[in-house]
Amino acid sequence: MLQCIFLLSDSGEVMLEKQLTGHRVDRSICDWFWDHVISQGDSFKSQPVIASPTHYLFQVVREGITFLACTQVEMPPLMGIEFLCRVSDVLSDYLGGLNEDVIKDNFVIVYELLDEMIDNGFPLTTEPNILREMIAPPNIVSKVLSVVTGNSSNVSDTLPGATGSCIPWRAADPKYANNEVYVDLVEEMDAVINRDGALVKCEVYGEVRVNSHLSGLPDLTLSFANPSILDDVRFHPCVRFRPWESHQILSFVPPDGEFKLMSYRVKKLKSTPIYVKPQLSSDAGKCRVNVLVGIRNDHGKTIDSITLQFQLPPCILSADLTSNTGTVNILGNKTCSWSIGRIPKDKTPSLSGTLVLESELERLHVFPTFRVGFKIMGVALSGLQIDKLDLKTAPSRLYKGFRALTRAGEFEVRS
Amino acid sequence: MFPQFGATADTLSKASTMVFRIGTDAHLYDDPDDVSIAPLLDSKFDSEKCEALKRLLALIAQGIDVSNYFPQVVKNVASQSLEVKKLVYLYLLHYAEKRPNEALLSINYFQKDLGDPNPLVRAWALRTMAGIRLHVIAPLVLVAVGKCARDPSVYVRKCAANALPKLHDLRQEEHALAIEEIVGKLLNDHSPAVVGAAAAAFASVCPYNLSLIRRNYRKLCEILPDVEEWGQIALIGILLRYVIASHGLVKESIMFSLQCTESSHSVKDGSDADFGQVKESTDMGGTCDYEFVNMVSRCYIEGPDEYLSRSSYANRESFQLTDEQFTSGKSNDDVKILLYSTSPLLWSNNSAVVLAAAGVHWVMAPKEDVKRIIKPLLFLLRSSNASKYVVLCNIQVFAKAMPSLFAPYYEDFFICSSESYQVKALKLEILSSIATDSSISSIFKEFQDYIRDPDRRFAADTIAAIGLCAQRLPKMAHICVDGLLALTREEFVTKDFGFGDQEAGILTHAILSIKSIIKQDPPSHEKVIIQLVRSLDSIKVPAARAMIIWMVGEYSTLGEIIPRMLNTVLKYLAWCFTSEALETKLQILNTVCKVLVGATEDVWTFKKIFSYLVELAECDLNYDVRDRVRFLKKLQSSNLVSIGQEEGTNDLPEKDLLHVVAECILGRQTRKVKAESFSYRFYLPGSLSQIVLHAAPGYEPLPKPCSLLLDDRNVPEGTSEIKKTVADYSGTDDYGTSSEGSDDESASDYDSQHSVAESSGSGRGDDSEFTSEGNDNADPLIQISDFGNASENQNGVSQSGPANLGELMSDRALESWLDEQSGSSNPGISEQSQVRISSARISLGDVGKRVKPKCYSLLDPATSGNGLKVDYSFSSEISSMSHLLVCIEVFFKNCSSETISEITLVDEDSNRALDAADKAADVNQSSLASSDNVPTLVPMESIASLEPDQTARRILHVRFHHHLLPLKLALYCDGKKLPVKLRPDIGYFVKPLPMDVEVFIDRESRLPGMFEYTRSCAFTDHIEELNKENGDSLFVKDKFLAICESLALKILSNANLCLVSIDMPVAANLDDASGLRLRFSSEILSSSIPCLITITVEGKCSDPLNLSIKVNCEETVFGLNLLNRIANFLVERTLG
Repeated sequence: MLQCIFLLSDSGEVMLEKQLTGHRVDRSICDWFWDHVISQGDSFKSQPVIASPTHYLFQVVREGITFLACTQVEMPPLMGIEFLCRVSDVLSDYLGGLNEDVIKDNFVIVYELLDEMIDNGFPLTTEPNILREMIAPPNIVSKVLSVVTGNSSNVSDTLPGATGSCIPWRAADPKYANNEVYVDLVEEMDAVINRDGALVKCEVYGEVRVNSHLSGLPDLTLSFANPSILDDVRFHPCVRFRPWESHQILSFVPPDGEFKLMSYRVKKLKSTPIYVKPQLSSDAGKCRVNVLVGIRNDHGKTIDSITLQFQLPPCILSADLTSNTGTVNILGNKTCSWSIGRIPKDKTPSLSGTLVLESELERLHVFPTFRVGFKIMGVALSGLQIDKLDLKTAPSRLYKGFRALTRAGEFEVRS
Repeated sequence: MFPQFGATADTLSKASTMVFRIGTDAHLYDDPDDVSIAPLLDSKFDSEKCEALKRLLALIAQGIDVSNYFPQVVKNVASQSLEVKKLVYLYLLHYAEKRPNEALLSINYFQKDLGDPNPLVRAWALRTMAGIRLHVIAPLVLVAVGKCARDPSVYVRKCAANALPKLHDLRQEEHALAIEEIVGKLLNDHSPAVVGAAAAAFASVCPYNLSLIRRNYRKLCEILPDVEEWGQIALIGILLRYVIASHGLVKESIMFSLQCTESSHSVKDGSDADFGQVKESTDMGGTCDYEFVNMVSRCYIEGPDEYLSRSSYANRESFQLTDEQFTSGKSNDDVKILLYSTSPLLWSNNSAVVLAAAGVHWVMAPKEDVKRIIKPLLFLLRSSNASKYVVLCNIQVFAKAMPSLFAPYYEDFFICSSESYQVKALKLEILSSIATDSSISSIFKEFQDYIRDPDRRFAADTIAAIGLCAQRLPKMAHICVDGLLALTREEFVTKDFGFGDQEAGILTHAILSIKSIIKQDPPSHEKVIIQLVRSLDSIKVPAARAMIIWMVGEYSTLGEIIPRMLNTVLKYLAWCFTSEALETKLQILNTVCKVLVGATEDVWTFKKIFSYLVELAECDLNYDVRDRVRFLKKLQSSNLVSIGQEEGTNDLPEKDLLHVVAECILGRQTRKVKAESFSYRFYLPGSLSQIVLHAAPGYEPLPKPCSLLLDDRNVPEGTSEIKKTVADYSGTDDYGTSSEGSDDESASDYDSQHSVAESSGSGRGDDSEFTSEGNDNADPLIQISDFGNASENQNGVSQSGPANLGELMSDRALESWLDEQSGSSNPGISEQSQVRISSARISLGDVGKRVKPKCYSLLDPATSGNGLKVDYSFSSEISSMSHLLVCIEVFFKNCSSETISEITLVDEDSNRALDAADKAADVNQSSLASSDNVPTLVPMESIASLEPDQTARRILHVRFHHHLLPLKLALYCDGKKLPVKLRPDIGYFVKPLPMDVEVFIDRESRLPGMFEYTRSCAFTDHIEELNKENGDSLFVKDKFLAICESLALKILSNANLCLVSIDMPVAANLDDASGLRLRFSSEILSSSIPCLITITVEGKCSDPLNLSIKVNCEETVFGLNLLNRIANFLVERTLG
């Protein structure tokens, strides 16, 4: 049972507090928290469960905002963490992103949302679609209206019908002139390439995102051509378990609007669409860096927004790095970022230069890890294919659309 | 606070967001109090009210106390605008506790809103009203919740479920039952959303009331996949607890493996140490680390604190799970349906649900099905960083308990550079515990990459993990050591660069790992030791040097080469001694001493080196070094002498003590220590306690398997169970021959004249007859003799028997006891007093005799009309016919001047006429044998005639249908029917259950929480007793004893209990009786559930005492009633 939720800004300010139970939590807990963040640094900031002298704290950090929840009694910690994640998702959805100002500007909405989302420390309504019906998200129209008339209420005065139905994720009976469903496969490729250049791990984490605008109570089934490649899956509550268990068919009544239908994982892929070959050789207090990036072209789609990032080792005094394509930046915290964009046809992008080591050091003994980013439109690298999408209670016309996209996830190349 | 963040955030956002801030509430947050709020609140426009409330909210958000606006805000609760309402509610909930009086003003509006046609308004009103948390309005809220629990709107019912914990938080006993009832009703709701919220309410309101779950267990399982995700988490936990409490653990599950090891353990008792290692090294296929699992599962059931504290007393075995506490997962439907309905939840989008479902499978699923949880758990690692850590903490335990589960998935634990240090460390630990011979090579490759990671703390951890792997997989030890050795020779660790700590840590960890690998098999690593010693010159880190030097001493006699190197090495050490760091210095001293003890050649050189070092060290700046050298010198001096003697004469084999000590301390090789010290704490998977590694408040281990009792389980089905036990009873045992050995004679034939006489002898009526039988006890205070046995036979009260008789007492009591007993020649005493070693326990032997049960009047001569007086008292006898029957002694007296004839008592409803007596025998038989209902009243033998002033006595066997409600009987005499009422005495619905103190305490500890009820009351009886004693100066009785006696007497005269023990007060003050504790045990006649009573005294001997009475009993209602009864009669003054 959560007792209190604090929203903290990066500068340590308590932007909001929402007491949830009769056992009030004093703000001083935030002072304690910041004291420890300052004294212990990042390792404390990355600890999701903290036992303070008086309370147990759960923290989730998103976009510089720290969501801090307190409890004094035993409860599943994942419940607290997951709830905070939902809060941050809902807020960034409502406010169009998260930052200090946007929360302060809309503090009333944040309060109202929190009040609907949690009651007495136990989550109440977390389904975004229903929340939207209860509390209207701020939009241009309402803003203008409030400026002009000085009066606008964002609190709905009727209870959304869905709260009572057995499909609480779907608003009751929306009406659309055009019935449309869009299904997106959004995949992220995680890969680790060790310093011998061998592919240690390569897997895809994917999501099936659905954007549905359907009238009435549609009952959809989605099937894949090759469901056997899926290693594991997780579903939105709307998915019925049994059809999946027996036939690997997704049968569901979709929420209205955009939602994540399922997420899946495909393991043990054989190759990556891109290769990165770093070479670091150090001698006599200097280190020569040479990184090559290239494409293994076997899927025919162009690879966009390729980036490469790495942390310069702490024992480096200065760095001089140049590239033949794209731009190289060395940021304040010794992060070197090389954005390539698209790979040109005529040459292989390469980054080269020298690093100057600290005076006593002959050669480098710690090596940076290169994090690669890229984006490929129109391809699901896992190879997952959607077979068909059917609507059981077919309305007159249904427009169906499919898309795919692959991004780099945790794509790492060690040197 | 953080300028580097502040600056960027400011510049970036200010310009860009100016535009977007128009029309938001930004100005209200920035300057909430730039206008005066009070008039706005009183405005008649809703928009102005809104603005004022928003300003207040902004002030609350910023942590400013605005509770002074409370009265004005409360007024606005009547507003029709929902937005105003919502804002008022937000404000109200924040401050209601601070301003209870003003908050009360709003109650009327809430009540009005509760009748609103809009369900949203009703729900809000209920939520806010319950959220105000004032004791005064609790009854109103309860009514409101009850009403809303029947609301047509699902949402309102859900809010009603959520309101229950708020009510429960107020801790108002009188509402507890009503709240539980509503929980039960909502659990039975047909809407999944309500059930989810009700499950959460159940978990916080009445987690022990598993009978509520029993009623609709199936339905709850079926509805589980449809319940809202948050409710699923709570419901899964409840269902798991219920299944364990009612069916026990599953035989095929991992948790069961503790059973099989239990037996093998007892066989190979001695080889305990290697047992774990053998298992560990052979757990490649399917098997798991039994000892570890054993401990894990015990921790789950008992809670680690209890388990660990007990294990320190080395009696782990006392908690035995018997076979009955296991059920088969394949045949038990309840278990199957739970697993069936939780398995799809492993695909849930909510990681908390997945983990909860995985926890159920981990505990309950058959071994081969457990692997189902692996992939979902590993998939959770892809969710947010925060949950990754929590999931890994849980996987860590699973992986340690059953490495084979996760061994094929080692790649999932490879580390990404972007992960936080905690996550990396956990992954390393898991990797090192699941590594197998086949996977180790790729894991090592990974480790080699990690060593080059810029995060040096992580690199050091990796090296430690390599050491762990090598210990688990001895085949790999050589490769590991070679790798580690290569590392120690690398330039960066050996050179001292100033970024010191981190690189030093790596070197130290490397040497530490090597050391632990060598320890497993020193002879095969001889070369490694030599290499390390040779690298001493280049290794500068003191901790690492110290370890190498330690190894020199430890393995100085190993193999061929090392002993030959010693000469040079020691010279080198002596040479650089002055420039060493403290820990190295200490280690050099130790090593030289060790070498000296074990040395066979070159002894004189070593001696010289030693004395040189002694001289150096004695002048050392550090007192530790000086102390150490002084100590070693003393130890060694004797050793040196003896060596000298050996060298010289060799005829003095007798070594002096000091030398032996030196041998022991320095000479022996360190013994193999068990690889892992099993002192971890385990909490249930998915719990907060498992993450913070201590029991968070409110943490409950799993219930004891099968603790939900059999007949408790059958309550809704009625009395079938009872009938069954009756049938069993009559089937196996003829009712005539009681199984109660000690009461054999008195119980055997209840209807024979003889037995009547005897039980009257044992009876409470006439002591005189009885005391003559016993010893001549001039002082009946403490009686330790086999007389105790005699009295025990007749008198169920002190059945506790000799076990508690000879226990010792406080000094004073002991003296008086010795004085008194010197006269009597009882051989038993000394034995007993020798055997019993108890700190301060006393016992009263003979109280039983003086027990006088209370007499109640059944029929007054005045009302009966014919001068018949009937009294009754409850007998401590146990009915031999059925455990549902209570024995009552009835005394008939004719107070009139005429003879009264044909007196008999019958059940009012019974149609059996006066001649029932003839039928008595066969009625008994038939009723019991046919497993029919036990009769309310076993017909009594009628009294043919009663002369004036004559008395007669009968024993009645009565079955009360309720332990509080009187029983209506009809008394026939002279052909007239007189209705009478027999009032039950709950004190006699139990029978003594002899046990000793240890058993008592053990059982008591298993009946905590809701099975424990306490009350306190005052006690004054002893004052009179003490006063009496003061006058009578012949005996100076111990005051404590007097109190004990009167207290025990009082209790035993009013209830059929067994006195287990009496603890003496802890206070030294002779007049302070605080801490005096009496324990009584009994079991409920009808159900044989034990019922334990503890009475603790507080206060001064001569004043009224304050008693606190505690009853531990599984049958809640009975226990409470018994408690009340005890408290009542203790307060009553004894008459006469």
